[in-house]
Parts: sequence; structure tokens; C-alpha cells
Amino acid sequence: MTHFEILLSLSITGFEAALCVFVYTRQLQRRLPYFSAYATTILICSLGLSLIFWRFGFRSVTSYYADWIALAVSVLARSACIVELCRDVLRAYRGIWALSWRILGLLTSSLCLHAALDARGQPNWIATYGLTLERDIAISSVVVLIVLFLIGDYYRIPLEPLQKWIALGICFFCVIEFVNNTVLRDLFIEYTNSWSAMKGRVDHVNEVWNTVYVSASLVTLGMWCFMLRKPLPEPSKAPVLLPSGIYQELSPAVNLRLRAFNDRLQEMLKP
Amino acid sequence: MNEITAYILLALGFSSILLWLMRPGGNSVETGRPADRQTIDRALESIAPHHYRYFPQVRQALSAGDCEYLRKSAPPHVAKRAIRERRQVARQFLSGLHEDFSKLERLARMVAALSPVVSHEQETQRFLLGLRFRLLYAAVWLRLSLGPVPLLQLGELTNLVGRLAVRMEQAMADINALSAEHLPRGLNA
Repeated sequence: MTHFEILLSLSITGFEAALCVFVYTRQLQRRLPYFSAYATTILICSLGLSLIFWRFGFRSVTSYYADWIALAVSVLARSACIVELCRDVLRAYRGIWALSWRILGLLTSSLCLHAALDARGQPNWIATYGLTLERDIAISSVVVLIVLFLIGDYYRIPLEPLQKWIALGICFFCVIEFVNNTVLRDLFIEYTNSWSAMKGRVDHVNEVWNTVYVSASLVTLGMWCFMLRKPLPEPSKAPVLLPSGIYQELSPAVNLRLRAFNDRLQEMLKP
Repeated sequence: MNEITAYILLALGFSSILLWLMRPGGNSVETGRPADRQTIDRALESIAPHHYRYFPQVRQALSAGDCEYLRKSAPPHVAKRAIRERRQVARQFLSGLHEDFSKLERLARMVAALSPVVSHEQETQRFLLGLRFRLLYAAVWLRLSLGPVPLLQLGELTNLVGRLAVRMEQAMADINALSAEHLPRGLNA
């Protein structure tokens, strides 16, 4: 590891530790247990990896596998955190939540299936699958959060600052991860047959992207620490829901009028 | 490399959408949840349609008799200018109707958000109808800019919005009555 990489790695661990302190000081584990678990997981993974790198060396096989395992664990924890965020935003609106979780679930499943299909048939497909899966989980996280925001915008369900900052941090990190994995995966597939000849070049690209990746983590962690620097406001009270009769009566009426309105508009277009 | 460029563009596109969705005033945190009494109060006040009520005046201004009279008696450049202005009035009125209808549609979405059971079919249907409505509106707006003003159809559109507005006002009254029973202070407090 270069001095710069060591510095970045230490900064990341520092920010992760600060985030954990903020999370538990603000008692966020009561409201968002999966986000708190995610913050704890990434800190444990960083500390564990640092120990393994120190004991076995940065470029050893043990470090390589440990890195993949840590990545898998943190991706799982992050996915759980996204599900929790969706639920936290929408669960008070029972009707919309019942409608949305299916859409969000279907989106996630189809993107994961796409990863499997995309990786199939590629040379060294297990490794390619890992990179493709990581890439597609990253983009599906962004898509799921964007769809969540679109649903919120459509139904006028506002997000609290806490939910906004967490989502923004995850999205920022996932976009960088997505681009990172796309480039790495492409290089991996392209040079997999001439690996020994091209290893130096691939390693160089990998180092550059590692720096970008770590910098993105720092920005995300910094964002969350900034959000949690002050005590959090009380969570919004659950809305008082209307009797379902109002919706059952009103919704078909609006749709009927909207259709009639469209028909009239269409008539106006006739020559 | 083209694939990488496409993916990077995709990532940039997603980031832009996200930033747009995060804009202040969109999913604004300051507005609170829609079930907040003040939020609903404000929403109900701002949602009430009003443009459709001006149709009699607009009809008078756009009447075929006036147009004919202008063509016969006014100099050509004055008549041309008047016709241009009539089209502008028609476009503005159509835009007002669009605003009225969008507000009513928004109220329907708020009611859906606050309903414990939501029909998947109804919501999909309304979403698709809303998309079609926006496309057709754009096409009609263009047509009004280029051709004659179809007063009859404009009148029918106005009636439709008017009837829906009456129905929505009833719904608002229902929501207000409900809030008076279930919330600490009534919606209109």
C-alpha cells in the first residue's frame, strides 16, 4: 500500500468510527436499526481488513478473499438498510406501501436476474458474476431509491431530512461503485486471456479506481456524520388515514373524468 | 468502450434525476406529511379549481360573431392582430383548465396516499391517463396556436372540469368533516 492509500484507509476508519459514535449517541438504532447495523458492519469490516492486510500483506490471497467477503457483507447490510428506508418512508401510508413494495421488489429481482444473465457465458464467469452482481446491486439500489422518491413525489409524501441524507449518501456511493465496477468488469473480461501480460496495467487502473472508491466512501460518511452532528428532530407523527370509502368513490370518478377529458382533447385534434 | 460510456451516462442521468427529486419544494421536508392539518389546509385551499368559471367571458371574447365582424369591418392588420390575440386567450384558458384539472388530479393522489386500501388498477389507470392527458394537452395547445379556436369542444372541456370540481368540493367537505371528528383541531382551524 502506498502512503496515500494508507492515509485514505485510516481516514475511512476514522469517519466510520465517528459515524458509529453519532449513530449510537443519537439513538438511531431505535428508529433505523438496519442503518445502525450497516454503520457498525462497515466499521468492523474496515478494522478486520486492516488487521488482515497488516498480518498477511495487502496483495496476499487471504487479503483478496477477505476483501470480497467484507464487500459481500457490507453490500448485504446496505441492501437491508435500503429496504428499511423504503419502509420507514412509506409504511405510515398503508395503501401506498402495499402498492409500492411489490413494485420495488419486482425491480430489485429483475435487476439481480439481469446480473446473472449478463455474467453467464463470460470467460471466468464466477469472478465476472461477482463484479456484475456488485455493479447491478449498486444500480438497483439507485433505481429503487429513485423510484421511492418518484412515488413520494407523485403522492406528495415528503421525506424527512434524515431519510433524505441517508438516501443521498447511498445513491452517491452506489453511482460511483456502479461506474467503478463497469470499468473494472470490462477490463477483466477484455484482458482475462492475457492476464499475466496486462496485469501491471490492470493493477494500475485498479489502484486509481480504489482511490476513487475510497474517496466516494469518505464523502458519503462525511455527509452522514454532518447530518447526525445535531440532535435529530422528533420523527413525524403517523398520518390519520381517511376511511377507504372516500377513495373508493373518488378514484373511479376522477379516472372517468380524466378519460372523458382526454376524449374531448382528442376530438379537438380532429381536422 | 462504448458500453462504458453508456453506463457512465446512465449513472449521470440517475444522479441528475436524484438531484432533481431532492430539489427544495419538491419532496419538501418543510411541508411535513400530507396528513398534517396545516398541510392539508394549505393543499385544499390551493387545490380549488377556479379557471373554469371564466368560460362565459372567454366564450364571449372568442365568439364567431365577433370574429366575423372584425374581418368585415376592421383593417386587415388589425383583424390579424385580433385573431392572434384570440388564439392567445384560448391557449391561456386551456392552460388554466389544465391547471385546474392537474390540481384535482393531485387531490385524488393525496386522497390515495391517505387511504388505507389503494386499488392497483385504479392507480395504474390514473397514471396512464395522466400521461395521455399531458401529451394530448401539448398537441391541442399547438393546434390552438396554429388553427381556429374550437369553441364548442372548449366548452365541453370546461363543463367536465366544472362537474369534477363540484364532486371534489364534496370530497373536500367529507375530508374536512372527518378531520373535525378525528383530529385535535379541524382542517379549517
